[in-house]
Amino acid sequence: MALKKGQPTPPSHSPGERQDARNLETLLQTLLDEDPSKRRWAARDLAEHPAATGALVSRLRRETDATVLQVIVTALGCLANDEAIRGLIDCLYSENAMLRNTAIEVLKELPDPVAPHMGELLHDADPDVRIFAVNVLESLRHPQVEAWLVEVILKDEHINVCATAVDLLGEVGGPQSRDALAALKQRFPEEPYIQFAADLALKRIGVE
Amino acid sequence: MPKSTIISDEDFQKFREFFYRKTGMLFEDSKRYFVDKRLLERMTATGCESFRTYFTMLRFQASGAELQTLINAMTVNETYFFREEYQFRCLVDSILKEIITHHPASRPIRIWSVPSSSGEEPYGIAMYLLEHWPQLEHWDVEIISSDIDTRILEQARAGLYASRAIQHVPAPLLKKYFRRMGAQYQISQTLREAVEFTRVNVHDTADMRSHRHFDVIFCRNLLIYFDDLSRKKTAESFFDALNPGGFICLGHSESMSRISPLFQIRRFPEAIVYQKPLEAR
Amino acid sequence: MKRILVIDDAATVRLYHREILEQAGFAVTEAVNGLEALEKLETGPPFDLYLVDINMPKLDGYGFLRALRKKDIPQAPAIMISTESSPSDRADALMAGANLYIIKPIKPDQLLPLVRGLLGEERQP
Repeated sequence: MALKKGQPTPPSHSPGERQDARNLETLLQTLLDEDPSKRRWAARDLAEHPAATGALVSRLRRETDATVLQVIVTALGCLANDEAIRGLIDCLYSENAMLRNTAIEVLKELPDPVAPHMGELLHDADPDVRIFAVNVLESLRHPQVEAWLVEVILKDEHINVCATAVDLLGEVGGPQSRDALAALKQRFPEEPYIQFAADLALKRIGVE
Repeated sequence: MPKSTIISDEDFQKFREFFYRKTGMLFEDSKRYFVDKRLLERMTATGCESFRTYFTMLRFQASGAELQTLINAMTVNETYFFREEYQFRCLVDSILKEIITHHPASRPIRIWSVPSSSGEEPYGIAMYLLEHWPQLEHWDVEIISSDIDTRILEQARAGLYASRAIQHVPAPLLKKYFRRMGAQYQISQTLREAVEFTRVNVHDTADMRSHRHFDVIFCRNLLIYFDDLSRKKTAESFFDALNPGGFICLGHSESMSRISPLFQIRRFPEAIVYQKPLEAR
Repeated sequence: MKRILVIDDAATVRLYHREILEQAGFAVTEAVNGLEALEKLETGPPFDLYLVDINMPKLDGYGFLRALRKKDIPQAPAIMISTESSPSDRADALMAGANLYIIKPIKPDQLLPLVRGLLGEERQP
């Protein structure tokens, strides 16, 4: 027994697995296989097939295995077409916290396809969805981020939506956020957290 | 120096939080001088006159290229033999000890080292096993090592190193496993024949699909350069490249806790590593 | 000095809690999500109390508490912090292993008595 030169995949393992056809039709079938590992491989491969977006989105609603869910969300993030983005946005309304949070993480990375939906999300009737929308802005590389955040702290009536937005303004805020931050302090004068976070953001924006 | 090129305390805090979120690297106050110096260098290089301009570029640049460059500047990215050696100790003293409790005796234990770079890591692992893992008498071990860069793979296969790369190799090992060739050192034929080098782009699903059934993956100081989505995708591919109960070792400033919830955190005396649950399917 | 682990993905919230708790004489460690919190448990001495946000990436507050309560370490009280207030959330938090469930925004004079109470400490003069 010793060090041996190996192969990328040992030929003796799981006969047939590498010969599995990877065409769209077979992959869509494998996405429903009872073996979660096969479902993960199928979902990963389907990330290269825009035509599979609908199947991935509908699998997302039924999938019970957390590891497969993660891979499907990633696949939709890689596809990043409008159908995929809508599928991910739907997750913000899910009761499954893991699914919701994973979708938020992926949406954060997709500024261009996410931007057209941001206005609507930030005005959703459910304050939790508005908070999740603000969470998406955290890492979104989009020029409008600051403007969206300013609008939230000026107009959103829910304190926790504002609290989430003001946290981000400490990072992305520029001089144009100053008035909005001051106004926010006026709107919630009795709330120590808002005062703290707005002061911190103002301090970080600094004087210029 | 104009006032605006000074990095204020608030700028530093803001930068520190952002960088921590993006990379998991947290700079203590004592690193302030180092951080400021690197930031000012990058500001000069990119023509940004104020920290604010630079930070906005870092935060919003679509390609993320400046963030990558900055991570490079903030990390000491040198390859040499036995870099982060505590992980090799962890491999022989803890990880393999656990793996052999459930590994089928008829099958080799498989280790994947990505990226191979010029081969210091996979050859280092091979040496470590030969020197410090007596169980090698009873088990076959295969080491596969991959890189995206075919030129560096050729270099790795040739196994020729300048003296700087071997500075941490103890003299007896140097004598045993290297041959002096002019100003360079070549790794022994036995070791060169023990490691299989392959070309892999970790972003490519087909490349990743062809590398499977590993018990241990070393992927150190690679994921830190990726954006969040690529990082997550790569970690998920590694999950499926591992056998159930297999381990993944990341670089010392990297944490799977920032990347994917698929793995379990395992604390061994030598290091924190991440495990695909034994019961995972 | 009692050690408190503050787990929240928002940097400002962590800083806010840190300032309140440090001024009251506690030692604070931060984690950005539930997984990182679990990692902190592996790398240092045990904590005396956990302040846990519900919604976080990678591993949320419920997931963290469930994993924490299964661990073979000295158990400590946990306060779950939520932005919602539907009755099921409270029940879920307590089921997952929280000792208390409070709703954001948090005020210092609300938080400190709860923390001291859970730690079995007398109110300081």
